[in-house]
Amino acid sequence: MTGDFMIYAALNVAFVLLASPLFMTIIKKVKAWAQGRKGPPLLQGYYNLAKLVKKETVYSPNSSWIMRTAPYVNISVMLVAALLVPIVMIPEPAYGMGSVILFLYLLALGRFFMALAGLDAGSAFGGMGSSREMTISAIIEPITIVVFAAMSFALGTANIYEMFAAAPAMPSLLPIAGALFIILIVETSRVPVDNPETHLELTMVHEAMMLEQSGRNLALMEASHAVKQTLLMAFLINLFLPWGMAGPAGIIFGALAFLAKGVLLCVVIGAFESSVAKLRLFRLPSLFMAAFFLSALTVVMEIFA
Amino acid sequence: MFEDATKILFVAILLTAAIVLTKRDILGIISAYSLQSFLISAVAAVMYAADGTGTLLFVSALTLCIKALLVPAIMKGIQKQIKIKRDVEFAYLSPVSALGASMILLLAGYGLLSGLIGNDRALAFGTVAGISLMFMGMLVVFTRKQAITGIVGYLTMENGVVLMSLFLTELPLLIEVLILVDLIGIMLLAAILSFGINSSIEEFHQKLVRPFGGKTVAPEEGSA
Repeated sequence: MTGDFMIYAALNVAFVLLASPLFMTIIKKVKAWAQGRKGPPLLQGYYNLAKLVKKETVYSPNSSWIMRTAPYVNISVMLVAALLVPIVMIPEPAYGMGSVILFLYLLALGRFFMALAGLDAGSAFGGMGSSREMTISAIIEPITIVVFAAMSFALGTANIYEMFAAAPAMPSLLPIAGALFIILIVETSRVPVDNPETHLELTMVHEAMMLEQSGRNLALMEASHAVKQTLLMAFLINLFLPWGMAGPAGIIFGALAFLAKGVLLCVVIGAFESSVAKLRLFRLPSLFMAAFFLSALTVVMEIFA
Repeated sequence: MFEDATKILFVAILLTAAIVLTKRDILGIISAYSLQSFLISAVAAVMYAADGTGTLLFVSALTLCIKALLVPAIMKGIQKQIKIKRDVEFAYLSPVSALGASMILLLAGYGLLSGLIGNDRALAFGTVAGISLMFMGMLVVFTRKQAITGIVGYLTMENGVVLMSLFLTELPLLIEVLILVDLIGIMLLAAILSFGINSSIEEFHQKLVRPFGGKTVAPEEGSA
């Protein structure tokens, strides 16, 4: 591996790990403001992770090796995915890195292990959460593939590095912004699809799968969820607000620019979550179909471009 | 630059049609129609800025005043009078299926017209967007049960004809279609205002036949 790529890999993964809890907390804070509350301090996400790492990990007597390995598989998968999505600088595509198909498979692998871990402890809630998660993913995954395929078609490449490098403000990409936002909401289990704040059995999806996790394992699961959100946010930010993406010389400026744009996007996500009600499970296909419609529009627009 | 702006406007217009197709809140549907008309007015204004034809500026101003402001204001007034806030009933197709059908129609429209229209991509896209808007309006008419939502469907169809006529000018057939759609819309509006239809057309029909024991009155034998 070249030195440049090593620097990129270390910086990208470190930045994603460091910034992700902050983004999660900002969304919580915006939602709290919308409800007339003060909300948690900005560093609460880091405190929570530090507290969980120190706590004892408790396993259900019915659980198998899946419960023990799933958190590590999840965080590993997300960190590998973090290598594929440039955040602060765009390296030269090398070693086959940056494939959008590999990125989608990694997301699916993480989801698969999370659902398995939900089932593994044998609790009713875990099984219910896994079942719901798989139902939703069975609908959203084809849509995600179509959205990323439309994006690849519009940008003329299936390599994420090249996509970000060639991302001027193309009008044909505008519908994709809406579709990516829907995917971000669905993949990170946010309102109106799921509610990350709730532990009500009628509404839980993602939280139900995490109920049996504790201590360090829960910290890893929470961190991998936050990393996934940052990576999906990076698509929106780097494709539609590409200003500030740096070469190797301006890494600090690039990181600060991404942080600022990330905060802005978190405010939008928080405001969006606060302004909509949770949808019934059977109404979700309407939301997914909207993403599909936007992708089809992108393809048609690109044909006419 | 003008071409990019027009493309963005086309996409936004089709998105408003998708909102009209799937939204349940009637005020929201009327607002989406108003936005759609405003965007069509903007398309005409952009085209005027590009080639300076005075008629386009006139079309833009007229669309803005009548379709984006006046007609939605009247419809909002009617909606207040009939006191129906939501249209939650769908016929034939659910909103998801209707959106899927409109996507198929969009692609079919492209498939049919790309061969007929030459290499002018802006012209082709405008025409495809116009025809798609007409089809989406037609789907609204088919799938929605409330009379007032049906009218928005007709008006969306009419917007589609206007959009298409902006690109394919000097077509008398388009003008004929435009007048026909207008007439249907006016008739329905007049029916709502004069007979007080505050529900779907089917329910109104049932109300009409109720005085005769719920049965349609058949003509007497030999009267014909």
